[in-house]
Amino acid sequence: MITLGTKGKNTFLEAVGRKSGANVLDCYQCGKCVSTCPVSQYMDFPPREIMQMIKLNLRDEAYMANSHWFCLTCSACSGRCPREIDIPAVMEAVRHLAIEENYVNDSKKVKEIRKFHEIFLDMVKRYGRNYELRMMAEFNIRTRNLFKDMHLAPKALAKGKIPLGVKPLKSAQAIKRMYDVAEKLEKNK
Amino acid sequence: MKKLTYFPGCSAHGTSEEFDSTLKLVLKTLDVELEDIPDWNCCGATSAHVMTENLAYALPLRNLVLAEKLPHTTMGIACASCYQRMKVTKVHMDENPELAAKINSTIVEEGHYQGKVDVKSMLQYAYEDIGLEAIRSKVTSPLTGLKVACYYGCLLTRPKKITQFDSPEFPMSMDRICEALGATATEFDYKTECCGASFSISNTEVVESLSGKILEMAQESGAHAIVVACPLCQSNLDMRQPDIEKKSGRKYGIPVFYFTQLMALAFGHPREKLKFPKHIVPVEGALSNIGKAEPAPEKIKKPTKAVEAESEVE
Amino acid sequence: MARVGVFVCFCGANIADYVDVPQVVEEVKKIREVKYAVEYKYMCSDPGQQMIRDAIVNNRLTSVVVAACSPRMHEKTFRKALSDAGMNPYLLEVANIREHSSWVHQKDKKAATEKAMDLCRMAVAKSIANEQLFEISVPVTKRALVIGGGIAGIQAALDIADARIPVVLVEKSPSIGGKMAQLDETFPTLDCSQCILTPKMVDVASHPFIELIPYSEVLELQGFVGNYKAKIRKKASYVNFKTCTGCGACWQKCPVKVPNEYNMGLDKRRAIYTPFPQAVPNKPVIDAEHCTMLQKGKCGICAKVCQPGAIDYTMQDEVIEREIGAVVVATGYDLWDPKPYEEYGVGRFKDIITSLEFERMVSANGPTNGVPVRPSDGKVPKNVVFIKCIGSRDEAKGIEYCSKICCMYTTKHTILLHHKVHDSHSYVFYMDIRAAGKGYEEFVHKAQVDTHATYLRGRVSKIYKKGDKLMVRGEDAQIGQVVEVEADLVVLATAVTSPHDNPELARLLGISYDKHGFLSEAHPKLRPVETAKAGIFLAGCTQAPKDIPETVAQASACAAKVCGLFAGDTLKKDPMISTVNTEFCSGCQNCVNVCPYGAIVTDEVPFGHGSKEMRTVAKINEGVCQGCGSCVAICRSMAINLAGFTDPQIINEIVSI
Repeated sequence: MITLGTKGKNTFLEAVGRKSGANVLDCYQCGKCVSTCPVSQYMDFPPREIMQMIKLNLRDEAYMANSHWFCLTCSACSGRCPREIDIPAVMEAVRHLAIEENYVNDSKKVKEIRKFHEIFLDMVKRYGRNYELRMMAEFNIRTRNLFKDMHLAPKALAKGKIPLGVKPLKSAQAIKRMYDVAEKLEKNK
Repeated sequence: MKKLTYFPGCSAHGTSEEFDSTLKLVLKTLDVELEDIPDWNCCGATSAHVMTENLAYALPLRNLVLAEKLPHTTMGIACASCYQRMKVTKVHMDENPELAAKINSTIVEEGHYQGKVDVKSMLQYAYEDIGLEAIRSKVTSPLTGLKVACYYGCLLTRPKKITQFDSPEFPMSMDRICEALGATATEFDYKTECCGASFSISNTEVVESLSGKILEMAQESGAHAIVVACPLCQSNLDMRQPDIEKKSGRKYGIPVFYFTQLMALAFGHPREKLKFPKHIVPVEGALSNIGKAEPAPEKIKKPTKAVEAESEVE
Repeated sequence: MARVGVFVCFCGANIADYVDVPQVVEEVKKIREVKYAVEYKYMCSDPGQQMIRDAIVNNRLTSVVVAACSPRMHEKTFRKALSDAGMNPYLLEVANIREHSSWVHQKDKKAATEKAMDLCRMAVAKSIANEQLFEISVPVTKRALVIGGGIAGIQAALDIADARIPVVLVEKSPSIGGKMAQLDETFPTLDCSQCILTPKMVDVASHPFIELIPYSEVLELQGFVGNYKAKIRKKASYVNFKTCTGCGACWQKCPVKVPNEYNMGLDKRRAIYTPFPQAVPNKPVIDAEHCTMLQKGKCGICAKVCQPGAIDYTMQDEVIEREIGAVVVATGYDLWDPKPYEEYGVGRFKDIITSLEFERMVSANGPTNGVPVRPSDGKVPKNVVFIKCIGSRDEAKGIEYCSKICCMYTTKHTILLHHKVHDSHSYVFYMDIRAAGKGYEEFVHKAQVDTHATYLRGRVSKIYKKGDKLMVRGEDAQIGQVVEVEADLVVLATAVTSPHDNPELARLLGISYDKHGFLSEAHPKLRPVETAKAGIFLAGCTQAPKDIPETVAQASACAAKVCGLFAGDTLKKDPMISTVNTEFCSGCQNCVNVCPYGAIVTDEVPFGHGSKEMRTVAKINEGVCQGCGSCVAICRSMAINLAGFTDPQIINEIVSI
């Protein structure tokens, strides 16, 4: 059971509104987003329920949901929302807030998804461009699933689909610098 | 001779090399020249904006700033995901000069962003700037008999505010291009349903489910092949097709072409240059439909009784 | 010597909280001409008015100033108090110290009080200069014009005509009846729509006080309340209604087939046609656009088979004029085109129809013998999905308002489907169920129980084809599951919109309309059937979406207003009109051009006293002038004055600040 009226002002709604620019209060719970979303069945709380949670100031529950990790930013929902709410932006805002406050879902699947993104960003930091082969290998290693997609490897490599090396940027250092500055900016918020 | 700035994207030399090379082939035929952005960097794709805010803008912004150093007013991007990130960055920077200044001054050092260069996906460029007439005029071996389901994915026509191209629900640009090449575009209701995109590696079950449904609907529409304009879509629908067949128990055997490969085929470019061996699902079965005659439609019997002039006026 | 009485109102706390009323009274007493000044809590109350009456008599006042709320509220009240005490009511001046001071300067009491004092000084100065004015009587033409022959227009016409007032009823289609004639059964009683409507239609046709002009449009409306002149264009029907017997031989033989508007294009009618069997008048018209005789000069079959010889291909449109005292606008509604809902495949899938198309199918006089069928293959559907809020409550693709009637008629449709196809099943995708009228909630409840319809709360996100069925996908928010319904037929409850030509009609009549094209009422709560233009009234959906009971009530209300207007022999007119001082008038005629009512004409007057030479001056028709003041503003000779707002009076006000 949830008790309401004890937390005072809804700062969660304000924070999400500021970050996303979206009009969360306009949501009238029609549910079009839920049946549009290709991955709503994998979410603990589909988009419509996340909206309501924001309106109810259920910050922790929203942070801990896996919904915003499954969101593909495909924008099918916002294209159909009758109140023109930018739902992917809301999902992104909740996700970024959760990351900032380090209050993140820790299920196996979400951990894997996060690991993938971290590895991808790491590749770009090092080489300025994505090193697909190394990224896939690192992912398998770090998720302790060494043989994932291995059955595809022979064909893919034989057909030359995945280059063995990577051609790093001339200004790879410039990219690294960008990462450092961006990190500093985040910390100083 | 048209010229445009080109952003290849990370997969252009890797998993979607055939998109890049056939694109360059057909653009040559259509008298369009590409100029690569020198020393371009990865746009950050999905991972950057999922995990970060400022970096997610900075990585594409660097490319936009570098593009402004070239003389062309339009930048064409093949990969739908890169296109989306670059266009979103451009639109947000244009709408929010304060934010643009902040990121430009701190993170991106290569130059001052002016917002001069227009960003288009190659599908958009082909449809809007090159046009159907020009494409039709270069067709030497029409693809008559080939039935294709044109799959656009999420990022080429959505969100409408960003892309401002074609319809977000039922786009027809790729369909019309395929028809200009002589093929028949089937009535396919899953044109813009997500394939699973970036979950290809980290959440493969989702991709298998979503891409599986797309394959099912394409097959039901009567298509011999699927046509795409996005490397991630191609990879999910092609490379993962055997696994999908195994898990669903349904046989598809539907090859997935880049629209530029079909254009190159119709323009008469030599087979070797079209990189068909790169496909996981073999293409020859579908392509064998080209040139096959369609069965004649049933003749409608004319009424034998003479009736007063029954003129149907609409 | 002027003797002015000033009455300053507290208005409860509205004025008193921000303006120091006693101080204002003290200040006003300092003016030489003010012989009596007092404050009171509520000047508009009975005791307050009595105060004014007593003060006038006891202090021999020559004019009165009431410092209170806006004159729009109580000017009439106070004027009556003056005339009850024997003083000309136009010697009243109202100083608005509420809307113009206390309500807008709440943060600065000192400034609000000083402003109130200034407003009183101005009012006192003006009241001294005010002159006695007397109401003008204008004649009133006791004939009403009703535009639109749907249930709203029919009801208004009958009510007015029953009061023995002549009515001219203009309808643009060949028959009256409107949308209600297209309905099968009406909620919540499930009355057969035609059965309850046609008696009224026949009454209209046979009523001695109603002139029914079908197949016609209003072209022009000139004049003002009680004194309008309407120009009506009677479209050529090419059929002489006097000789035509309505036998139907002509349209049985006509070879041309055209999509039938009455059946929403689901079947065809002929080029010579009556819209439906129960049409009133039951005389056919020829659709000139599609008639081969009128277009190409060939055919002529209808004339050949017409026994009474009523066909006349040479007929022309006719413009007629009628003198009118009041107008009731009852032009009904249109339905929204669902094309923007691309995700539903509208336009691509044949088996998606609109609610009115479904209504025609289940109607006994419809194109499918009263049974709903799938347009793609003609089969009778078993699973029918009804989707509400198509265009309504949708800021992205449609309009933001609620269309009010769709929840009720969708429930009605589930009942009708259940009656016609016993083994059918209805699925209703909804956001809310709005059943606010009398007996409405009970109707919905009974329908749900009787039909076993499945109600799914969630907007449909997509419809796609699977074989020959349509898959309708939406969320059932109540069990938190995405569901897909395998449907044979999908019915869309499209939004109610204003008629597409409402803006044009509004401009013609000189009334306003809102951003959705609905005609604007004078006040949404207290004056729902009047417009801002005196003598023009609104009934039915042309003002806003509503159901039949509300439409009929509104129509009768209009009739009551019209009867009230026509109750006396004359209409009393505000004497605040303009007059021309011919000594200053240069005859430039700028005023003639600027007057929106055409009230100013030219006249000839001699150049000087006894002179034979004439010069042109302007002359204002006091019966037509509405006192808008445009002529006063444009006159460069300062020759025109508006009674009650003359130049000397206004200058007095300004000088007194």
